[in-house]
Amino acid sequence: MADTDEAAIHMPSNDSAHIDTDLSDETQDFRMLNHLTFLTDGSQGNLPKRGEKDFEPNPTLFQADILSASRQAMHNALAYPRLHHPRNQVIGIYAPDGPAPPSVAQAPKQMDTVPEDNDTQPQQPEDTTATAGDADAGPPKAAGTEMGVPAESCVYVTNPKGQYFKTIGRADRWNRVWLLPEEALYLLERGSLDIRWPISSTGCSGESETADSGIPMSLQAAYACFLGHGGLNMERFSVYTGLRRLGYTLVRAPGWYDDADEGDCSAEDAQTQSRQGPGLAGVFGRFMQWLSDSPSCPVAGPLVGLGIHRSYDDIYRKLSIIPWHDPTAPRSESRPTSPPFRVVFHVYKPSTPFRKSAPPPADFRIAVVNARETAVPTLAQMSALLESTPLDPPKGVKMDRVLSLRLRQGYRSVILAVVDQGVVSYLRVADSAFGKEKLYKLQGPKPNQKRGPPRPRAKGR
Amino acid sequence: MANDSTSTTSPSAAVSVSSQSESKQSAPRPRAPRAPRPNFKQIYRFPLPINVHPLPPLIPHNPLSIVSVLLSYLTYFIAPPHQEVYPAYFDADTSSVHVTDKKAIRALWEMGFFGKGTLSRSEPSWLGREKKRRGLLGTVASEDMTRQRRSERRELKLERARMERVAVEERLKAEAAARDAADVSVDHNTLSPSADGLTNGTDGTAPNTEKFSLRKAREARYLESRRLAAQDGEERGADPAGKRPVGGKTVRFSPVVQAKEIAPDSAVHLLDPIGDEPGPQEPPPLQDEEHLQLSNEEAFFLAYGLGTLDVYDGKRKTLLPASSLLPLFCQHSHFPPQDPSVDPKPDDPFLVSYAVYHHFRSLGWVVRSGVKFGVDYLLYNRGPVFSHAEFAVVVIPSYDHPYWSETEARRAQCDRNQSRSWWWLHCVNRVQAQVKKSLVICYVEVPPPGPCSAEEGSTSDIGDLLSRYSIREMVMRRWVPNRTRD
Repeated sequence: MADTDEAAIHMPSNDSAHIDTDLSDETQDFRMLNHLTFLTDGSQGNLPKRGEKDFEPNPTLFQADILSASRQAMHNALAYPRLHHPRNQVIGIYAPDGPAPPSVAQAPKQMDTVPEDNDTQPQQPEDTTATAGDADAGPPKAAGTEMGVPAESCVYVTNPKGQYFKTIGRADRWNRVWLLPEEALYLLERGSLDIRWPISSTGCSGESETADSGIPMSLQAAYACFLGHGGLNMERFSVYTGLRRLGYTLVRAPGWYDDADEGDCSAEDAQTQSRQGPGLAGVFGRFMQWLSDSPSCPVAGPLVGLGIHRSYDDIYRKLSIIPWHDPTAPRSESRPTSPPFRVVFHVYKPSTPFRKSAPPPADFRIAVVNARETAVPTLAQMSALLESTPLDPPKGVKMDRVLSLRLRQGYRSVILAVVDQGVVSYLRVADSAFGKEKLYKLQGPKPNQKRGPPRPRAKGR
Repeated sequence: MANDSTSTTSPSAAVSVSSQSESKQSAPRPRAPRAPRPNFKQIYRFPLPINVHPLPPLIPHNPLSIVSVLLSYLTYFIAPPHQEVYPAYFDADTSSVHVTDKKAIRALWEMGFFGKGTLSRSEPSWLGREKKRRGLLGTVASEDMTRQRRSERRELKLERARMERVAVEERLKAEAAARDAADVSVDHNTLSPSADGLTNGTDGTAPNTEKFSLRKAREARYLESRRLAAQDGEERGADPAGKRPVGGKTVRFSPVVQAKEIAPDSAVHLLDPIGDEPGPQEPPPLQDEEHLQLSNEEAFFLAYGLGTLDVYDGKRKTLLPASSLLPLFCQHSHFPPQDPSVDPKPDDPFLVSYAVYHHFRSLGWVVRSGVKFGVDYLLYNRGPVFSHAEFAVVVIPSYDHPYWSETEARRAQCDRNQSRSWWWLHCVNRVQAQVKKSLVICYVEVPPPGPCSAEEGSTSDIGDLLSRYSIREMVMRRWVPNRTRD
């Protein structure tokens, strides 16, 4: 019920008109809220279009009426009662000590494979026999992995219901879904989850049937408990919750943890590099390269000189003396990324089919930095960050044809989320090798080639 | 849109100005046909100021082609083609390189877009403009075209604003009439749009949402002028502000726009030769007062890279070879210029920026200064006359070599040189987005001072020195999550 607006967002928009408009940048004409059909029937799932706004007040009644109508529409939308049906209520229980098997009192209910020896909620249960198969979910860190959940999880849900659990949380053997702090906080903030204090924290031991003390956790308490827990800070949470609300799916990347290594992409680098083959062709190729490379420039004289030149390509080849970085070349050793500049989230578009058990390759990789504590990354930081992402050379018909698209796409890319006290600015950085695109070769005489219509003019030359 | 007209307006002054100018407006002026462009493809067909002499194609199964190849070799051997070398001189006072030779100016501009006319925006076109101003020439310089385009655009905006004001006035009038009628019939509900705004909001916006096109603006202006002409006879002596709405507010008409309303006419005057007024009886023969100014990077590229520029010193006596040009430019990359006895450091601003300039030039880009856009360089594909620059380059030095982090002082110095704030970056990035260019962050890896430089002066082998810099480009742009969700 209350989720229908979110459902509309989760659906990929088929109307390209309002993709171009950045909703957050402008004041809105709230009369569009009158068209929100989910207020009356939840079947329709596309967002309304906005009206046009006036830039200055004018004395017409017409404008005043539009304003008041707009205001009224906003009030209508806000006044719509959001109901939480008890049937849909999801209750999570806070586990301050991290993932642990259920206590004995609860165990007999679901016990089929659980050994009996964990009677007192131990931090590190000794039974490694029943390790879940998907240990790659989180980093191999501590207790939680043996149950198949990340060690930083701090809230578990015994009755996972609703669409969120398709992308959020990790189930353990006892059919409980463990939530990471940011996931729990996000769900709590939007009213989809009710977190309860555990009995161990409150001390009121009623009939200890469950670990649930029945005392709900306030939002303030949740912020206090979860932020700063397991690497979660305010910047990362702003990015997580902001993108989540837009419909993206986010999972923690290995770089989340400061000590994890993330060299998962060197293998594919090696195979993409095509070396000169052995044999006659290779010898010939090397000979030709030697011919063209043979440095003949005088020490202080002109590189090109006044001799007879056969083509501009030759001239440009003689001019190219400054080495440039080739992103496709295999690196001998990859430098470790320095902590603020590491990929902390893998981001999936709403349209990407996502399975928790087998996440597909990420659509975007995001590093989160604090704008006030860091400066623009230096080359060392930036190149280490980019090397931690997989090689993704530009491909496609359009890319092959248009040089500037190729350059903008780059060979690797990463997204920097620069957070200044809650305001997030995203920057996409692409490793584009200008040196790999010899512009002079594309500019050569093209006989009988018709030029297209003139491009639209930008402002300024 | 006239977003900029948000400043408050003093109504009475604004109204009187606008009404005066309104009465001046005549029927829509037909737009003058734009003069045909010169054949840029032909004029700018050479990418560099060097002549090439391609060999005729060699076709193995055609013996005649071999003959023609041999023949061309023979002709080059007997009469080697002459390669122009263009003179320039270095002016130490302004730290810049000047070219005054007419032929050299044309050649350097037309083959590779080097330099800038000192009296022009970029292409040295002062003489042409001056001739035109004096009525000696019929062609149009690019500056004039820009001015004309701007005045046209401004006129369009004014017409649009006027059109909107007319719409508001009409609505006010209709509302007043409806109010009178309502006073008689005491039926308010029929005209209050708030009701229909709530019930069916689509209709509420309908009259407002139509876009004002140029055609509509023209029509509106035509109607307005006719209406004014009709009223003119009757209301000649009447107070012009009398017929304005009582509220006195105008829509989208800040004082700036109001004041500019008379500008179209003055702009037209600008285009007309001012020299029409009788000046001196016999004008002295027009001399080209303009010369070409090369940036230091351009001059060094032409002198060292291509060898087609001879740079002389300020007295135009001694020729400066590339080996002495480099330290000279390095000294002049600081202000005030450094002492000549100081050896240039590897991270000298000139060396770093020249490495970037040379790199992009050697790839075939036309590289020009990007100071107007807050960046170091602009990259043009083929040249500024063909298309807008697609890339804007900022240069950031990088001190990755262990040498630079050896001592504490060195590390602090490097940190200072390579550190940039996020605010600076966003500022540059937003400006580039506004002008539809992609921001390229160009990191230049600065080498440590080399062993050879310690021995025999750092500039003994320029090629060797330059090849120790290394360049890495990264394209940066804003990522808007709203747009990549599909």
